[in-house]
Amino acid sequence: MQASRARLFKEYKEVQREKSADPDIQLVCDDSNIFKWTALIKGPSETPFEGGVFQLAFAVPEQYPLQPPQVRFLTKIFHPNVHFKTGEICLDILKNAWSPAWTLQSVCRAIIALMAHPEPDSPLNCDSGNLLRSGDTRGYQSMARMYTRLAAMPKKG
Amino acid sequence: MDSEDDDFYSGEAMDDENDYYNTDDAAYADGYDDEDEDDDDDDYEFMEEVDEEYVSRQQQSYTVLKEEDIQQRQEDDITRVSTVLSISRVDASILLRQYNWSVSRVHDAWFADEDGVRKSVGLLDKPVFQFSNAKELTCGICFEPYTRDKVMSAACGHPFCCTCWKGYISATVNDGPGCLMLRCPDPSCRAAVGQDMINMLASDDDKEKYTRYLRRSYVEDNRKGCLRYHLKHEPYLPSDCCYIHFVYCQTKWCPAPGCDYAIDFAAGGGTFDVSCLCSHSFCWNCTEEAHRPVDCGTVSKWILKNCAESENMNWILANSKPCPKCKRPIEKNQGCMHMTCSPPCKFEFCWLCLGAWSDHGERTGGFYACNRYESAKQQGDYDETERRREMAKNSLEKYTHYYERWASNQSSRQKALADLHQMQTVHLEKLSDTQCTPESQLKFIIEAWLQIVECRRVLKWTYAYGYYLPEHEHAKRQFFEYLQGEAESGLERLHQCAEKELQQFLNDDSPSKEFNDFRTKLAGLTSVTKNYFENLVRALENGLADVDSHAACSKAGISKPPPASKGKSGRGKGSGRSSGSHDAGR
Repeated sequence: MQASRARLFKEYKEVQREKSADPDIQLVCDDSNIFKWTALIKGPSETPFEGGVFQLAFAVPEQYPLQPPQVRFLTKIFHPNVHFKTGEICLDILKNAWSPAWTLQSVCRAIIALMAHPEPDSPLNCDSGNLLRSGDTRGYQSMARMYTRLAAMPKKG
Repeated sequence: MDSEDDDFYSGEAMDDENDYYNTDDAAYADGYDDEDEDDDDDDYEFMEEVDEEYVSRQQQSYTVLKEEDIQQRQEDDITRVSTVLSISRVDASILLRQYNWSVSRVHDAWFADEDGVRKSVGLLDKPVFQFSNAKELTCGICFEPYTRDKVMSAACGHPFCCTCWKGYISATVNDGPGCLMLRCPDPSCRAAVGQDMINMLASDDDKEKYTRYLRRSYVEDNRKGCLRYHLKHEPYLPSDCCYIHFVYCQTKWCPAPGCDYAIDFAAGGGTFDVSCLCSHSFCWNCTEEAHRPVDCGTVSKWILKNCAESENMNWILANSKPCPKCKRPIEKNQGCMHMTCSPPCKFEFCWLCLGAWSDHGERTGGFYACNRYESAKQQGDYDETERRREMAKNSLEKYTHYYERWASNQSSRQKALADLHQMQTVHLEKLSDTQCTPESQLKFIIEAWLQIVECRRVLKWTYAYGYYLPEHEHAKRQFFEYLQGEAESGLERLHQCAEKELQQFLNDDSPSKEFNDFRTKLAGLTSVTKNYFENLVRALENGLADVDSHAACSKAGISKPPPASKGKSGRGKGSGRSSGSHDAGR
């Protein structure tokens, strides 16, 4: 418990210090609970998520960093490895390939990388995965872009 | 045995022997010449020793490994790899683990591409992370600064503080055997973390777990089998003539609950039955309990059938009756006794007496009772189970028939095992006191019980065999049932004698005159029964081939025992009949 708190505090200070270091990621700690974090990440360029801002929710376990944090999308996203309803993410480093040397910041970076490089062979969102697997890149991109517009961009007017 | 296994076991390199190249053997080989010149008598004795060992090697194609033996072998393998490759024992252990503990595969891979192996396994030559000259280093996990002496790293040099290392190791060890492949916590680094780090940093509990995983891995991951070098020295060859040969060896855990022993099995030994030191005997090939003379395929078919059907069978027997006409099982859930079987049979019958409903009516007591049934029951000539036996024509009934006998021999064997245990631990000592006989002279009782246990096992499996013996092979069936019947009735007499007749001596207060007669009788029955069963096993193992050579005899009249059973020792009158449908009793 103490170790995880200390480690999270380190990360918190790091985030405060380097606020502008990575303009794509904005990590915010919950006001009352250091084990709850949210992050805003920018959709990577040259992907259907470009221009969108996606919100992630982190639930950090007490055994952190020996155990990985639980992360899910709060913003709706059409992506093969993200559950369409719950926002759950299928990413190996959040499961068995976790290493305690990862940080919340690096997890965000990994998720951005996942957005740019989906893994349609282990889909949580089968519709999205099937589009990619059947080679319908255009269909996938237009669906993903539509949901980015609907959910991840400020409403116009 | 499926074809894959066939291939595996039929290689040319197979041999009955499984003696490992160890120092003893080497000594035989090396020291032989010297002794030859020294002294003829010594030499003669020496020859005998070799001979004896040769014989015992022929009989056993497996070795039971205790925990310390497994450890010893594992250590030996590690030593071998570490010596040949000139690497540390820890590194050798990591390598072996990666290559499923096959020394030869490690050697092959290493000498083919050392750099590639080092890279994939994570054995680094030199650190990839260079310490700066700063006095303090930042731990890669908690991000706290530490002085150098508080920081540790694997071969790669990535620094982490001891506390974080401890946490990391303990989390991985408690996560399962994956801890054997532990890597540096740095995600970009593939450096392996060996047992030396574990021993330095883990709690005693975790160290023990790690060691256990390591031991288990040695046995379990070795499953594919490996060629081992054996130095073979044949007694009939000139003394300086030794040759290396290869034997496929595989190790499996003894499947008995709570048993920590493993069995190392050398291919080509003929039978797969092995006996662990924990007294559990099992088939090494399929790890089901020992099932000689029945083959693994039949056993697995039978066991599968039992899983699928025994529950159903019990329910069907308890809750249904077969339709008197079409024999399909019928469940009566409610209503009157007037049953109509479902189409296409549509037979109308009475649930109670299973007679045709057309015979019923006012005359037989109306629609809600059946006089025929009541009166027959009163007269006692209406035995429902007997009736059902008569209907044992359909496959369901046939299966039940064999299953019941298989299962009752099974439970009988369990009981016999318990009795044997009771005998060894309690009764034998008491008996020795009351009969004033040393325990060593009471061995015949233990032998009798051991024989009973073994016979129950064989008999049990013969019922699985019988179930799969084709109906149309009349001669074979007849012969089989004859042998089975003989063996079974012999066993019943033996079991009876060991159980009931022994009881009276247990109750005695003083030595009994009849005890000597009892000894003769029990020992006699033991050896006779043993003979019966050996005949049975032999006959089944060669597929009842004797029948073919005596087909004429079988055709002529089958009431006579086929000639193949001649070789038995004499037996008393009133032998049990050869029906095979004897209830195994108990």
